[in-house]
Amino acid sequence: MTETLFLTTRWYNKKGPVQSGPLPVIPIKSSVEMHQIFLTFDSLMIQLYRLTGYTLVDFFLGTFVLALAAKIIGELTSSMAFLAVRQYIEKSTDEMVRFQNLSVDALTVGDGATYTACNKLANDAFGKTFFMQVSLSAALLWPVPFVLAWMQSRFSDVEFELLFTDYSVGYLCIFITLYAAAYLIFKRIKYRVPYFREMAEIMAGYRKRAREMKSLADLLPPRRV
Amino acid sequence: MTKKSWIMISLVVAAAIAATLVTAFPADAGKLEDAIAKTPQGVEKGMIDQSAPPGFMGIPGAPRTFWLYGILWGIWVGWIFSSVGAFGGVMAGVGHITVFGLADYGNTFKQTNPTLNKLLTDSIRVCNQYLVGLSAVISSLTYYRMGRLVLPLGLCLAGGGILGAYLVPVLTAGKINLSMYVGYFGLVVFAVAGVLFYETTPRGQASKKAAKAAAKAFEDANIRKTTAGSEQAAEWARGVHVTQWGLTKIVFTFYGAEFSFNPIWPIIGGFVISAISAFIGVGGGFLYVPFLTSIAGLPMFIVAGTSALAVLVSMITSIFSYMFLKSVPVDFLLIGTELIGIFIGSILGPVTSKNIPEVWLKRLFVVLALYVGIGYLTKGFLGKSLLPGM
Repeated sequence: MTETLFLTTRWYNKKGPVQSGPLPVIPIKSSVEMHQIFLTFDSLMIQLYRLTGYTLVDFFLGTFVLALAAKIIGELTSSMAFLAVRQYIEKSTDEMVRFQNLSVDALTVGDGATYTACNKLANDAFGKTFFMQVSLSAALLWPVPFVLAWMQSRFSDVEFELLFTDYSVGYLCIFITLYAAAYLIFKRIKYRVPYFREMAEIMAGYRKRAREMKSLADLLPPRRV
Repeated sequence: MTKKSWIMISLVVAAAIAATLVTAFPADAGKLEDAIAKTPQGVEKGMIDQSAPPGFMGIPGAPRTFWLYGILWGIWVGWIFSSVGAFGGVMAGVGHITVFGLADYGNTFKQTNPTLNKLLTDSIRVCNQYLVGLSAVISSLTYYRMGRLVLPLGLCLAGGGILGAYLVPVLTAGKINLSMYVGYFGLVVFAVAGVLFYETTPRGQASKKAAKAAAKAFEDANIRKTTAGSEQAAEWARGVHVTQWGLTKIVFTFYGAEFSFNPIWPIIGGFVISAISAFIGVGGGFLYVPFLTSIAGLPMFIVAGTSALAVLVSMITSIFSYMFLKSVPVDFLLIGTELIGIFIGSILGPVTSKNIPEVWLKRLFVVLALYVGIGYLTKGFLGKSLLPGM
């Protein structure tokens, strides 16, 4: 690989001893060869790691921008996938809510057999929607492994020493942390985009449907204040 | 969800991470490179040819999956997830073990470099877990928001889950060779086939029909009355009694219907389920749900929330343990292409389910599961698959 990343802070290189304090600029190469698929995008993606000229800042900033991009692309594809199977999800959710509520109603009149029957059907419907959600989640997450694969070929030898310990973390831990940050930030700003606002309204409808599910707590007598 | 619930769930997640980090030791850097370096160099089986193009995890000469095959297999997995359910997770594993040729490749190192053989086993496990587990975590979060969690029960499950998901990677990573792994995977496939088969039998079908009939009859006869007046509902509600509350048994009744569970069972259940999930490399949601409904007999709204919490906590612990404690490498590119396929497949599932009856889909997968199960069991424990293609 011709490109190198320069770190100028506390650092830990797998192949050498732990060092600390301001360091001379040291090239750190990855030991993982870059896949052909990334060679096309590599020159563009590495520009994200040269935004300020300060190596450490660039590493975190570049990784954060990639994490945010992965989050936004994932949100877009997952919302499109959701719209494509909306009818199916609506049907399963209705079924789930209906049988769940019936099971609770059966309990209120002391009909144990009907409770068991309705509970089984509610769980079947829950299973359907659960696995549907599992596969739809792939639409949200697919950009993440691609970013990680690229980072693996770029930064697999980069490790940061955890302060006051002998432990170190690599690119994976940094990315996951920044992806969580990107998730929280994007959650707050996405409703300013009309498309995501519309999606949020649709999702709010589902949450309302879910709230219509009765629980055993609904059977409890009201608390006396 | 209340603020208290958020605080509690944050505490549980933090405990899972802390459990891993507290016991952490410096990562075994360069594990894969070391294993490759210690393997005999050459072009024969069980050797590594450094001049060969890199394949799985960048190993020279390892099977190299054309990206389109990853997507196509993902479509198949996603389609099964959205049409039949848990069997999709099994198929994700079959892809890594058989279709992409990783088990056969790993087995060539059984004699020449057992470390590389076991490292490939761990990598397959983590790839399975990434593929299925991460998606399961997202959907679990959704259900957690929807469901109404019984926190003490969820915490009992999660407590056992953390232990299982921590111990299995720590005790077995680097120790399970591919043959053993394939054999145990075959056992799990048989278990899934058994459940699917029961659902297709006349008895399984009849119980579902009977349940639907009972639900319909109840709906027609009682539902209007039940919701008719709040006074009457309040009168019924006064029949709720917690009759026993203790460390060994919690009992509550509703007008004659009695529920009870021993808190130790969720802990043991959580431990066993998360241990199996971490060992095979799956999410575990498909085991938590039947455990909570069939064994504990709990209502659906409790199951949704508690299984979500349990999956979330045990997945975080397991992936952290594999990745950070044991430095197991994964092929992110393969996972990425498969995820694209899964999301395409998840859209196709509802389309085809309109035209193919669910029972016939299940029958098809019973046959497939039996084939895979027999193939893997014989390959893993007898050394050679009785069936071709495995």
